[in-house]
Amino acid sequence: MRENEGLKFLKRRGIIETIGICTVIVIWQLVASFIVKKTYLLPSPYEVFFAFYTVREVIPVDIYISLLHFSIGLAAGATVGITIGALMGGFKLIDRAMDPIMEILRAIPPIAWIPFAIIWLKLTHYSAGFVVFVGAIFPILINTYTGFKSVDKIYIDAAKVLGCKKGMSLIKSVVLPYSLPYIAAGTRIGMGIGWMCVVAAEMFGASGRVGLGWRLWNRFYALHMMDKLVAYMIVIGLIALLLDRIFRYLVEEKSLKWRKGLVAV
Amino acid sequence: MEKRVGSGIVKMNHKLELRKVSKRFNTEEGKMEALEGINLEVKPNEFLCVIGPSGCGKTTLLRLIAGLDHPSSGAIILDGKEVKGPSPDRGMVFQEFSLFPWRTVLKNVEFGLEIKGMKEKARRKIAERYIELVGLRGFENCYPYELSGGMKQRVAIARALATDPAILLMDEPFGSVDAQTRNILQEELLEIWKRTKKTILFVTHSVDEAVYLADRVAVMSARPGCLIKCLGIDIPRPRKRTSREVNEFREQLLMLLSLERSKACISV
Ligand SMILES: Nc1ncnc2c1ncn2[C@@H]1O[C@H](COP(=O)(O)OP(=O)(O)OP(=O)(O)O)[C@@H](O)[C@H]1O
Ligand SMILES: [Mg+2]
Repeated sequence: MRENEGLKFLKRRGIIETIGICTVIVIWQLVASFIVKKTYLLPSPYEVFFAFYTVREVIPVDIYISLLHFSIGLAAGATVGITIGALMGGFKLIDRAMDPIMEILRAIPPIAWIPFAIIWLKLTHYSAGFVVFVGAIFPILINTYTGFKSVDKIYIDAAKVLGCKKGMSLIKSVVLPYSLPYIAAGTRIGMGIGWMCVVAAEMFGASGRVGLGWRLWNRFYALHMMDKLVAYMIVIGLIALLLDRIFRYLVEEKSLKWRKGLVAV
Repeated sequence: MEKRVGSGIVKMNHKLELRKVSKRFNTEEGKMEALEGINLEVKPNEFLCVIGPSGCGKTTLLRLIAGLDHPSSGAIILDGKEVKGPSPDRGMVFQEFSLFPWRTVLKNVEFGLEIKGMKEKARRKIAERYIELVGLRGFENCYPYELSGGMKQRVAIARALATDPAILLMDEPFGSVDAQTRNILQEELLEIWKRTKKTILFVTHSVDEAVYLADRVAVMSARPGCLIKCLGIDIPRPRKRTSREVNEFREQLLMLLSLERSKACISV
């Protein structure tokens, strides 16, 4: 039987998805303009759309600053997280010595570090970066550790028979490449948490009067400009989505192609 | 054939000797004797098959020779020097798939040369030669997940050969491929052996495989593994799998093995 033409069109990529999004926006608009009727409680999509227009000049700057904070924190978190994770995964003694400290530190919410971030690093980009660092480091560290711990012995043996003698060359040629998917997965989780931390840290003014979070809280919320606030919420969400997609594309499609056979991507 | 000792050019005078090699494992239930008093001499350029029931310590024996484990007593001597650890002069093809999944076929074969510090161009040339030898030209840039089981083992053989080891240790390399592929791989291996003049120590639990491949078959007993007999197979190659002589050797080996099995049953 031939499929109905209309049905075929519906099944094409993107159509159903677009319908889904449009439906939500329509419902939101109806609820906002006929039931709630107060911008303060629920700005309508229409108002939010215009809010975007009115904040068009500050948005790029805020995005840039927030991404800067995010990058500082993520770079530091990845560097330190991978290093400590690798050391703990590679050396039993270090593992035992560090494990309790890491468990305790991990249990502290990154937000709780904001006071010290401000005291230690003053109102610079680094203090928001520090909060991101705290949020991103642990998933990266733990995943690196897990990757290092779960290397199949057969690969170590194969490498040894092929002439790998020193621990360093084993780590470089076998353990690290084996762990890369773990590290990538940890980094992805760390990025998600890190982005939340950027917004929170900026809300508290950890880096002074800059960033998406700072404006959202200290301008829009403080002045009850809820339409602009929602516009910023959407921007923050979209950036998180975009970062995740870019990362997935760069890492999983490009560098971890070999994993296709091991996991369903 | 070259057999002069001490000539640098000729790479086929390597002699492997096992002297009273025993291996005990410390397990939770106490000590477990895996190998007991193995005496064995492998001649240069020989194709030696080791055959024995499952769990008799064949893998353990190869791991000891490879240097991945140490004997509890006795010594393994290669070219007059005791084996202390792994080295690229003893290549190994493992029982399970051991290709690095993150490397392409080419990069897998290059691995040993890379560790040696060889330049990229030089090692690519060598790797390509061995990939050609195992009949995988055109698959250089595939990842292991894109290969069949038989192809994976061919790559593993190429990888082991690339560092030009004196001895090739093979642990049931064709155990997980189907019968037809297995026959083809056996023929190819004999061809490679003839061309590269390696000493090959080939573990199997298939009597057919042993009789088809080996110059000599070492038969192992059930646990604790010890050598019960070495059987020279002097049928000229190429051998016919169904010829009378082959069948006679097969019968001899089967007899030895079933004797072993009945002994194992009694001792249990
Ligand atoms: N690392 C280890 N620790 C403890 N026991 C071991 C270890 N490795 C092997 N053994 C034991 O030694 C015995 C011989 O094992 P081995 O793997 O050498 O057998 P095999 O002859 O290769 O068997 P198969 O034909 O099934 O591969 C087995 O009983 C096994 O349980
Ligand atoms: Mg085995």
